[in-house]
Amino acid sequence: MTVRATPYRAATRSRWTFTLTPYRVFLLFVLGGFVVLAAYRFVNGIGVVTNLTDRWPWALWTSWKLTGVALAGAGYSTALLVHFLGRDKWHDIERGAFVLSMLGYLMVCTALVLDLGQWYNAWHPFVYWGYHSVMFELFWCIGTYTVVQVVEFLYIYEERVRVPKVMRTVLKKIYVPLLFLGALLPVFHQSALCSLYVLAKGRLDPLWWTLLLPVFAVMTSFFVGPSVVTMENFVAHRTYGRPVHMRILGEVVRISAWIMLAYFGLKMADYAVRGVLPELFSGSTLGNIALVELVGCVLLPALLFLTPSIRASRNGIRVASALAIAGVVLNRFNITILGMMNSTGEGMYRPSLMEVGFVLGLAAGVSLVYLFLVENFPVYSEDDVIASEAALAEQEAERKAREAAGVPRRIPIHLETRVEPRVPARTGSQRE
Amino acid sequence: MPAVETTGAEDRETEPQGTGRRTFLKGVAVTAGAASVAATFPTTRRQSDAVVEELAKEHENDPALLIDLTRCVGCGRCVQACKLDNGLEWRSDQPAKGPDAALAWSNYSVVVSRGRAGEDGEPRYVRQQCMHCLDPACVSACFVKALVKTESGAVVYDGDRCVGCRYCQMACPFSVPTFEWDETFGRISKCDFCVDRTSEGRPTACADACLRGALTFGRRGELLTEAWTRIGGRPEIYVPHVYGETEVGGTSVMYISDVAFEELGFRTNLPDTPLPEYTWEITRLIPPVATGIFMTLMALYIKRRRVILEAREAADTAPEHAEVQP
Repeated sequence: MTVRATPYRAATRSRWTFTLTPYRVFLLFVLGGFVVLAAYRFVNGIGVVTNLTDRWPWALWTSWKLTGVALAGAGYSTALLVHFLGRDKWHDIERGAFVLSMLGYLMVCTALVLDLGQWYNAWHPFVYWGYHSVMFELFWCIGTYTVVQVVEFLYIYEERVRVPKVMRTVLKKIYVPLLFLGALLPVFHQSALCSLYVLAKGRLDPLWWTLLLPVFAVMTSFFVGPSVVTMENFVAHRTYGRPVHMRILGEVVRISAWIMLAYFGLKMADYAVRGVLPELFSGSTLGNIALVELVGCVLLPALLFLTPSIRASRNGIRVASALAIAGVVLNRFNITILGMMNSTGEGMYRPSLMEVGFVLGLAAGVSLVYLFLVENFPVYSEDDVIASEAALAEQEAERKAREAAGVPRRIPIHLETRVEPRVPARTGSQRE
Repeated sequence: MPAVETTGAEDRETEPQGTGRRTFLKGVAVTAGAASVAATFPTTRRQSDAVVEELAKEHENDPALLIDLTRCVGCGRCVQACKLDNGLEWRSDQPAKGPDAALAWSNYSVVVSRGRAGEDGEPRYVRQQCMHCLDPACVSACFVKALVKTESGAVVYDGDRCVGCRYCQMACPFSVPTFEWDETFGRISKCDFCVDRTSEGRPTACADACLRGALTFGRRGELLTEAWTRIGGRPEIYVPHVYGETEVGGTSVMYISDVAFEELGFRTNLPDTPLPEYTWEITRLIPPVATGIFMTLMALYIKRRRVILEAREAADTAPEHAEVQP
């Protein structure tokens, strides 16, 4: 474990900081590439940077958007569990999930603008109401929900930076409505994202086409949430020495396991009712992929989560979470690419390098902003931050010892700017 | 709201035991889940035959096109007329005629050669263009109403309004709309059924140009009768199927052929139900489901109101208190 920075702790810093490590420099490099690519795309159009054709009007970017929104479901599922279903003790994991979710949605919105031919018309749906389209519902819900999340972030922001009194009053007033919107909107756009493909009846393979697409979309995005939170917790543990909340995670994944089982059962029932079971077990490529998706990445992790000894072990919960996430990613790619493959007449979609570059760039952007937010805003709980400070201190001591023994030191670069903190440093130290 | 206060107080008393609340929550969750699943199963969809019949009646007098593939020799005059009439470019990378012909932004219509098809091994030529569905999926998919079906039955596109999301391309069961991939601000491009002509009752440019009688322009109802008369007149030649009569609820452009449609590259696994009906099955559920979820959230919130607000309060007051100190 090499800790190079600590998350933000109230009243300990009066500057914005960002520590550059080789890995982060690499991410910045990827992000820079993305900016160049985006400029290139805005000048030359979509066809030049992607391999999209009239037969494949949607492909990798769409898969990525569907995946991003599904994984960002971590935000709403955690919020529902914590606020509405009374799991108050899970506050420790809530903000991390929320920030991840907000960044996921901002990423999807960016990707959406990149993917529009006449992006400057993006405001049209607010004026010309094509309400009979699933896209209309999707656009409104995702748009509103992204705004809701950004406003919700202000609650974290105002704990760090002095804000006008008016803003604080307003935030206080709208807290409960936001809570409701934050739980209600995701259900609809999560479902709408997959409902888009309901129109592809006869073209999307029956292994994935069903009228239950929206129900499945909501279920998958809900049950993948705890797995995403688990992985986030483990990554934060490696980056910051943040403690892994094994007990909370164990409880959350147990809930998700039951939903996974229900999903598996419903999926099988749906196959049976529509008579698709023979195709599932036919041994064809698509059938096998669907089996991998359902058995390997839904049933298996659900059973792993339900086994107390596996759930309680770090590797166990990590492997099962990774499987569950892989399952949802696979599902979204199956709907958007593999399931559409046979009807396009052009075979498998081969994305261009630039197209992949966009996806990587967006992911790098999310990672970097996440790191910045965690290190500059109270995202993690106080106890978590104290633990990671301890980890950093311990590591520092080790480094000093090594230095004393004559090993040369490598200095990480700190980028800093002054900020007017909401809590002056001296007050904070008094409080302790 | 005194009522709310009492509920909250009661809840606080029962909360330590937890079981009552948990049972309640489970009940709510199970009921909501079961209801949504039950409501989503396609039990209430109108019979597709009824829908097709209704649509056919409604669009009986719409201008329509009957394409008789047995009469087409692949001369390409129709495509030429189409390009001239719509001011479209001729591009070598987007052939409008021949084996590689495909709809593209410079081709509203094409004539594709389908090798040696049929029992006689003679080549067949398939003209492709927008089918002008009676209940078009693209129109239902467009979330800014850039695509509309006009009163005369033509499905037309307004490029100035379009956002460029390409959902119409995904929605179209015949893969008709094409996109200007090489443009900085790409738009959709598709056949508009020569709406200026057809709305006045004049035939489309392509139908005007055809010398072989492969393209017949007329009212949809009459053309259907004509199609079945031709099939009935020479049953040894024609396949007993009018493509477009019932596909996705019926289309204004219809085909008859002497070779199985599947062999000629037509999509034959399309349902008779208009595709927008499927979406409607889902979107019609949004208001009740939204109300249901909202009520559930409300119930949960009322039960937990005090806990939620206290948590918020605690998070809010600590720093505020600190700020006053200096």
